[in-house]
Amino acid sequence: MNKKIKFNAKNLDLYYGDFQALKSINLEICEKEVTAFIGPSGCGKSTFLRCLNRMNDLIDSVKIEGEIIFEGQDINGDIDVINLRTRVGMVFQKPNPFPMSIYENIAYGPKCQGVKDKTQLDTLVKESLVKAALWEEVKDRLNKSALGLSGGQQQRLCIARAIAMQPEVILMDEPTSALDPIATAKIEDLMSKLKKDYTIIIVTHSMQQAGRISDKTAFFLMGEVVEFNETPVIFTNPADKRTEDYITGRFG
Amino acid sequence: MGRKMKDVLAKSIIYLATGITLCVLLFIVGFIFVKGISLVNWDFLTRDYNEKVFYAFVQEEVVPMTIDAASLSQKDPYDKRYESSLEGPIYIENIGAAIAKVAYKNNATEKEQFVFSYIEKDSPLLSAIDSTGKKLSIGTDYILESINGTDFEGLSLEDVAAQINHETGELKIKVVQPGGGVRSNIITTLYMVLVSLLIALPLGIFGAIYLTEYAKPGRLVNIIRFAAECLAGIPSIIFGLFGMAFFVVALKFQISLLSGSLTVAIILLPVIIRSTEEALKTVPTAFREGSLALGATKLQTIFKVVLPCAVPGIATAVLLSIGRVVGESAALLLTAGTVAQIPGTLFSPGSTLTVQAYYVAKEEGNIELACAIGIVIIVIVIVLNILSRITSDKLNVFNKK
Repeated sequence: MNKKIKFNAKNLDLYYGDFQALKSINLEICEKEVTAFIGPSGCGKSTFLRCLNRMNDLIDSVKIEGEIIFEGQDINGDIDVINLRTRVGMVFQKPNPFPMSIYENIAYGPKCQGVKDKTQLDTLVKESLVKAALWEEVKDRLNKSALGLSGGQQQRLCIARAIAMQPEVILMDEPTSALDPIATAKIEDLMSKLKKDYTIIIVTHSMQQAGRISDKTAFFLMGEVVEFNETPVIFTNPADKRTEDYITGRFG
Repeated sequence: MGRKMKDVLAKSIIYLATGITLCVLLFIVGFIFVKGISLVNWDFLTRDYNEKVFYAFVQEEVVPMTIDAASLSQKDPYDKRYESSLEGPIYIENIGAAIAKVAYKNNATEKEQFVFSYIEKDSPLLSAIDSTGKKLSIGTDYILESINGTDFEGLSLEDVAAQINHETGELKIKVVQPGGGVRSNIITTLYMVLVSLLIALPLGIFGAIYLTEYAKPGRLVNIIRFAAECLAGIPSIIFGLFGMAFFVVALKFQISLLSGSLTVAIILLPVIIRSTEEALKTVPTAFREGSLALGATKLQTIFKVVLPCAVPGIATAVLLSIGRVVGESAALLLTAGTVAQIPGTLFSPGSTLTVQAYYVAKEEGNIELACAIGIVIIVIVIVLNILSRITSDKLNVFNKK
């Protein structure tokens, strides 16, 4: 268990205006693992996830205290946010492909970084779609609109889009909550493949999902991390009474 | 009164209101069409409002008449602008055309004129050139004024025919192309639409981008929005007065296409800002987040993702704007003038169709002509609407699947 630590949150507090949404979070997230955040609605797990690529910047009233060390740098400090977001990709709850062609969706990120070479983009698009297990389904319709894909395909497209940026970390905010079980299975399958190359952090409402795919699990409650441990330990032998109550379905 | 009765009453009021609105609309459009449709023809659309005088050089050539006298007298070139044929027509062989003496209908002086009533297929008139050798077109209802320096004024039709027959060789004929058309007004209107949109669209769109994407909600944004809404409610004559004082006089743009366009652009701004703002607001936040999460800058996000999604809304803004420009008269009367000509430069005046309609109805009392112009306006608005709807459908990113 000598994996390198990717993110290290130290005493992280987050406020929406006067409301404190995260209370002194301390978490170490390891490289090339799947880390799952579970907890009831409004417990701050998504908020914490969005801290990791500074997506909370978009909300005016947010105030953040404490540190998140990413590769030796505090990302709440004076860093290049654009650069951070190219290294820490994100997949959202609802599939949000842009209303463009499938090809353009994947090429969007690299193009924004100034990649213009057509062959380079072509390879990148193909590689990303292959990695996201979508290539076989869409290779004949790359120039068709991404909105014509099914929900599950759209979500894999969003994963492919994130992969195209060649990130180190992929954040997933309940990526399967809008999908049917078959599409969900495909995405879970994909995640276990992707963790060889990427650090994956996933927020999920489904404890079964966390149990199936994650290596480590953090249980959030009321803005605090109640327990963080190897997934099997959390699910079979939780240290905290509240974790046990949540996992056994006594509240949630 | 029972509930059923109330329902019936309410329903009938609703139907009545709809019916009245529809009737009024149909009546107005119908009135304009009935009054004006007789004047609308190809010549009306392609001719200028003012008469055009030119000298035509024609090689004399004897062309016999190929139709009989009865059908010659039935040729009706007078085009409603003339009361009736006073004399003639008489066929003149050496120019291969028939002329008639007519009186102008709307001319207060009742001037009598000689017009071509029929031109043979092989007539030398059809290969007439001007002094520089450029080809001229002469058609029926063009007015003859002189030949080789002999003026026709006061002559009888027979004398004129004899005079023309008497000439040989190259003939120099003074011809007047009748006016009364709206070509210049149509072109001025299109120019006005184009220039004012070129000015107002970028301003309005960037303004809307600022308001929705950049500005922090607060006092300043509210003030800007309030100002835009107030602008939308101000009658256009006020803008016209401002345009006249500022663009025409202070900036010395004169009464011109530019002054008119700038004034109309100000009138358009609130409309464009409002519709673009609404369009930008409907673009899902998920697209913005998705783009930013991919490491795109805010500007890239706005221009590559948000704006393309807002195209249908912006197209609505363009539609409304076109309607406003084509329909604007008070402000343009003061800033672009009433001269029926095609503006050669941005700094020359020109009257749009609406201004022209006002002008002929008010200054000349010619309601028929104003109605004919009204028909052209309605058609132009419909055509431009359809065009921008098609382009917006083509550009709509959500339509492509």
